[in-house]
Amino acid sequence: MINDIKVGALIAYCSIKRGNKKTLAFIVFVLSLIFLNLVFLPSMIGGLSGMFTGFMQDYPYGDIVIEPGGDNTYINNADNVLQIVRAVNGVRAATKRLDAAASIEHKQKVVGSTITGILPAEEYDISRYPYIISEGDFLGELSRDEIIIGAMLVEGYFGSEIYDNLGQVREGSLVDVTYSNGVKRTYKVKGIMEGTFEVVDLNALVHYKEIEDVYGLNGTEATRVVVRINKQGTEDIVKEKIISAGVKEPAFTWADKSDKILRQAMQSIGAINVMSKFVSLVVGAALILIIIYINVLNRKKEIGILKAVGITPGSIVLSYAFLSMFYVLMGIFVGLILYFTLMLYFQANPFRMYESIKIRPEIDYLFLIQNILTMLVLSVIAGILPAWMVSKESILKAIWGR
Amino acid sequence: MIIVKNLKRFYGTGANTVKALDGVTFEIKEGEIVAIMGASGSGKTTLLRILALLDDATEGVYTIQGLEVSSLPESERSYYRLTEVGYVFQDYALINEMSAAENVYVLSLMEGKSKKDSYETALEALAKVGLKDKHARIPDELSGGEKQRVAIARAIAKKPHILFADEPCANLDTTNSRQVLEVFKELNEKYGQTIVMVTHEPWHIEYVDRVITLKDGIIISDEREKTHPSS
Repeated sequence: MINDIKVGALIAYCSIKRGNKKTLAFIVFVLSLIFLNLVFLPSMIGGLSGMFTGFMQDYPYGDIVIEPGGDNTYINNADNVLQIVRAVNGVRAATKRLDAAASIEHKQKVVGSTITGILPAEEYDISRYPYIISEGDFLGELSRDEIIIGAMLVEGYFGSEIYDNLGQVREGSLVDVTYSNGVKRTYKVKGIMEGTFEVVDLNALVHYKEIEDVYGLNGTEATRVVVRINKQGTEDIVKEKIISAGVKEPAFTWADKSDKILRQAMQSIGAINVMSKFVSLVVGAALILIIIYINVLNRKKEIGILKAVGITPGSIVLSYAFLSMFYVLMGIFVGLILYFTLMLYFQANPFRMYESIKIRPEIDYLFLIQNILTMLVLSVIAGILPAWMVSKESILKAIWGR
Repeated sequence: MIIVKNLKRFYGTGANTVKALDGVTFEIKEGEIVAIMGASGSGKTTLLRILALLDDATEGVYTIQGLEVSSLPESERSYYRLTEVGYVFQDYALINEMSAAENVYVLSLMEGKSKKDSYETALEALAKVGLKDKHARIPDELSGGEKQRVAIARAIAKKPHILFADEPCANLDTTNSRQVLEVFKELNEKYGQTIVMVTHEPWHIEYVDRVITLKDGIIISDEREKTHPSS
């Protein structure tokens, strides 16, 4: 076996060293495209999927959301719930929010909206609200007569033409808000938030205390307790821990709470991704096999000669496995250069969906390693299979075709 | 050394059967140089390929040093080709991507010799055919005669008991042909190697001990030492 490996390596080495360099470059180029095909589309789909996931986690639901149980409008002991939740292992941060239905009016233009009362300082650890202010500033702890308006409610922003909007609202504009209980307040617009996501951009934010005052609450109520966890993917485990810790209100992961259409969309994207990976893998495997098979056929006479002079079929087969692995390793190397170049390009110039939704491909290193290993396994099979078939042929047929 | 009994090789079936060899029987003693001659299509190359274990006989028995090699499985035939038999092809059959030394060296490596020993063996064999200084050249950088000498070096490097050569001078001029035949003669005299050579050149018989002539797959004459230079 050692002799087979040594001889196989020598044959492969000579073939690479003195073989046709143009053919080698072409094979490597094709293999790099096969690799790129395997990893690029899933990265884009991963980016799209990650974007939707991110929307749900970054704004309305966090990783886990706790809501009032039964027919209750509020979680009545929200501070107690927060205390329990923050003590649970795996929880990174938690905050409470109060949602209220309201109408917002600006210069005779009225829109219906959900206004969420937040604790601004805590939102920095919970959501991306503080980071998506495209005009003005985010709320502060003393922001009692100020409001953040979603971009789709403001004329000129993406999506505003589709929905009713408040016209030319800008930082410093005054808007009148009528809450569902009839209480009216006037707020100065402190900022406009733009998340390119309806759930964010059709809503408005005020300080938690504002909603509390408007609805006459006593300081411990919340319509939601939003939780962020340390490690993505452990939502269900942490949710169970929260329930075990004594929280009586129902807890949901962001995925549980995603509405049906979005969940179906995510499932469809996931299915497309799986299919795309499978098809790419089959096409990749077939192409590698064809390339190596053509290569082996071109060297059929050489295989016959090697057999005729006493080189074992094992050495010959191994030489093609080495050769094939070399081609594929080079293809992966070039493919990785192409891949990361494309990733850099699309990070800087993301794909645009509905003009303002930007999809950036996601680099999943585990997925990359999986594909590299898959390609290497395929290369060994693709090298061994055709060489083994030809090495089984009679010497006379291999050398002289009869 | 070599005993061949009623060796037959047929191609095709029924009415289309071609009898390349039709019952050939002979013996070759150790250390003999034998020429197999005959017109084109007489079966001489077929016979040589079967003797060198490159092809199978349809019928008959073939033994080398008492071992019936005609019925050996492929793995043992491969080992036999590597260790006991050397074969020189008419069209050199060198690996184009290997240098002259590597074409020779690969067999010693296959036999289990170390890299260093294999390389030395290869250089020694190339020196025997006068090509030591061209050991790094690939076949495309060598002339026809030089290629054939590399092919001979490959065949003799492992010092096989039997050397088979299929028209080794077919593509060579007279000078190069004489060089090749001198090498064969020297190997035979120095190492007692048995050499079986297919040729169609009458003057080659100066270098052989015996001439077996085939016609239509059967032996029509088997003459010993008639025209050997020493006789």
